[in-house]
Amino acid sequence: MSKMLFLSEDGLVRLLEAVKASEVYAAVRRERGPEYCHLQKVPEAELALREPRPSSSLKAFLQPAKERVAVYTNEGFDVEASRLVCEDRALVGLRACDLVAIAYLDKVFREGDFKDPFYEARRESELLVSVDCVAVHENCFCTAVGGRPFAESGFDLNITPLESGYLVEVGTERGREVVDRVADAAAEPTDEQLAERNAARQKSIDQVEKQTRGLRVTDKVQELLLAKQGTDELSEMAARCVECAACTFICPTCHCFHLYDQVGGEENFERIRTWDSCILGGYSRMAGPAGAKPTPRPSLRSRCANRLLHKYAFSPQQYGMLGCTGCGRCIEACCGEIDIREVLRELIGDTSG
Amino acid sequence: MTQAAEANPYAPQVARLSRVIDETPTIKTFCFDLEQPMEFRAGQFVQLGVPGLGEAPFTPSSSPLEPGHLEVTVLRTGGVTERLHRMGEGDVCTLRGPYGKGYPVEKLEGKDVVVVGGGVGLAPLRALIHVLLSMTDRLNKVVIKNGARESAELLFRRQYDEWAAHDKVSFEMTIDAPEPGWAGHVGVVTTVLEDLPNEVNVPNSYAFSCGPEIMLRFVTFALLEKGFQPEQIYLSMNRRMSCGIGKCGRCNIGPYYLCKDGPDMCYAQIKDYPNVF
Ligand SMILES: Cc1cc2nc3c(=O)[nH]c(=O)nc-3n(C[C@H](O)[C@H](O)[C@H](O)COP(=O)(O)OP(=O)(O)OC[C@H]3O[C@@H](n4cnc5c(N)ncnc54)[C@H](O)[C@@H]3O)c2cc1C
Ligand code: SF4
Ligand code: SF4
Ligand code: FES
Repeated sequence: MSKMLFLSEDGLVRLLEAVKASEVYAAVRRERGPEYCHLQKVPEAELALREPRPSSSLKAFLQPAKERVAVYTNEGFDVEASRLVCEDRALVGLRACDLVAIAYLDKVFREGDFKDPFYEARRESELLVSVDCVAVHENCFCTAVGGRPFAESGFDLNITPLESGYLVEVGTERGREVVDRVADAAAEPTDEQLAERNAARQKSIDQVEKQTRGLRVTDKVQELLLAKQGTDELSEMAARCVECAACTFICPTCHCFHLYDQVGGEENFERIRTWDSCILGGYSRMAGPAGAKPTPRPSLRSRCANRLLHKYAFSPQQYGMLGCTGCGRCIEACCGEIDIREVLRELIGDTSG
Repeated sequence: MTQAAEANPYAPQVARLSRVIDETPTIKTFCFDLEQPMEFRAGQFVQLGVPGLGEAPFTPSSSPLEPGHLEVTVLRTGGVTERLHRMGEGDVCTLRGPYGKGYPVEKLEGKDVVVVGGGVGLAPLRALIHVLLSMTDRLNKVVIKNGARESAELLFRRQYDEWAAHDKVSFEMTIDAPEPGWAGHVGVVTTVLEDLPNEVNVPNSYAFSCGPEIMLRFVTFALLEKGFQPEQIYLSMNRRMSCGIGKCGRCNIGPYYLCKDGPDMCYAQIKDYPNVF
């Protein structure tokens, strides 16, 4: 069978049934719009493959908001109880930008001297099924940060919705195994269908380009931000920031966390990891007399600037890629109505790049 | 560290205290005789904790040349350190590490080495001093300066004479607030750096400093003023940390994670980022 195949509506339903994962997280239709949900928990929900990207990010399924990372007693570390037993999982309906976020988190958690065994276990048991954006959310700006509204790599299977039916591209052996289970429902794509896919993709690019209005985060922008470090210009957005940290919790690449210990059951102790946020004042607070604990970024301005710099200037130095995928989720999430595109635009001017 | 703990970087081993030494009214040294020695470089740090309460980062003050015997010197200042200070011989602590890069000892052959400590800042520096004392034949000179608020807070005072007795090593201390009868130097630690250009050959020197950030700031400015280049100055940027392994994001200065790329940073690397001091 070739790398690309055509499936009807029914064929796609069968394909998704053939994803025999014990946990499926998928983009589904909810009252307020598409969301990523644990499919087994909302069995009635319909998949959202033709809608814009979900407003939630998939981060919660890769790095849960709260998770036990170790169990120990006075005698030592309990290896068995501290291990993550991870069933087969599938993430369905991911957007191209979500795959970029996964690539970023992979660099954080799977590379370097220390690997995160929890993240690693999840990723190893995961099937990634992405979908082209045929509808684009008004806040999307993936093309401004080097992305496109469809994926060309990084998936096991990628779905392109057509007027009638779907094209499915196989990215890996793991993906191949799934399509092989529905081989009888699949057809070779016709030239018209392939042409329709190209046209749909171009249409989505045009739509994103239209709404990004020439915004481009280039190497030059990185230099510009570094040059403006410490200036008020970089932290203008702090005037509207209410320090709720929603932007960092919704962001698919933000990965800051905090470790704390607690008494577990009888005679044992647990180490817990929770999400944390660099926007919060207590984040980097050090020891000292009560009420006078020093922190390296005491002002909200400095913390807002740090977030911006981490996304667009430090991440390329740390991981060789931007820390922003252009998904625009932080724009809806922000209580202060801060639009990160406007922040960038003001800093670099409309047509830079 | 056990095999299993290595695979899970968040998991601690437990270690029983073999001894607790009262150093000053606010500082104690916690000693462990480890079943499995912890190999570390001077300047690398560990996460030491109280079971069920939590952990905090500390740089061992003992010699890296004796990895089976670990000493951590702790200032009482908050939740974890208060509880540690109430522990005694036989009590159980959590321990993981070592983390970070450690001091660039290999750069020091033939050099003049200046070590400037303030308060509990002398604790991390003692691991370095142990290493320096073991290699004086390969160094040109070691100049140690130490400051404390008052004489009772002078850390490791029992060892000063022993250090100064080494060939090529000089030691000087100062306190901010003298009590009657104090015959030594008075003033903040930068006041004993005044004569540095006559004590060392500045262009052939490296300086290492650890202490409160406000002190690091004034030490750095003093060193620059004496002709040190930013490349010759190493500072212990002992900021808030959590994971210790470059994942949790907490400890950045610019693109550096202090836990992974430090905690001792060359001033040249960090000086252009905001919020360094
Ligand atoms: C690399 C490194 C080496 C250090 N070496 C020493 C040492 O040798 N001796 C010594 O006395 N102190 C050292 N410190 C400082 C020591 O970690 C803090 O004093 C300690 O964390 C205070 O914890 P607490 O719970 O008592 O204070 P609290 O104020 O109650 O702190 C609450 C939480 O904040 C965290 N925290 C507070 N201050 C710091 C800080 N400065 N750095 C990191 N985390 C902090 C703790 O982990 C703790 O969980 C070092 C810090 C770092 C980063
Ligand atoms: S940012 Fe681009 S890839 Fe992501 S959802 Fe929007 S259009 Fe799709
Ligand atoms: S910073 Fe905003 S637009 Fe960029 S990846 Fe995070 S949530 Fe998406
Ligand atoms: S302490 Fe977690 S990144 Fe440095």
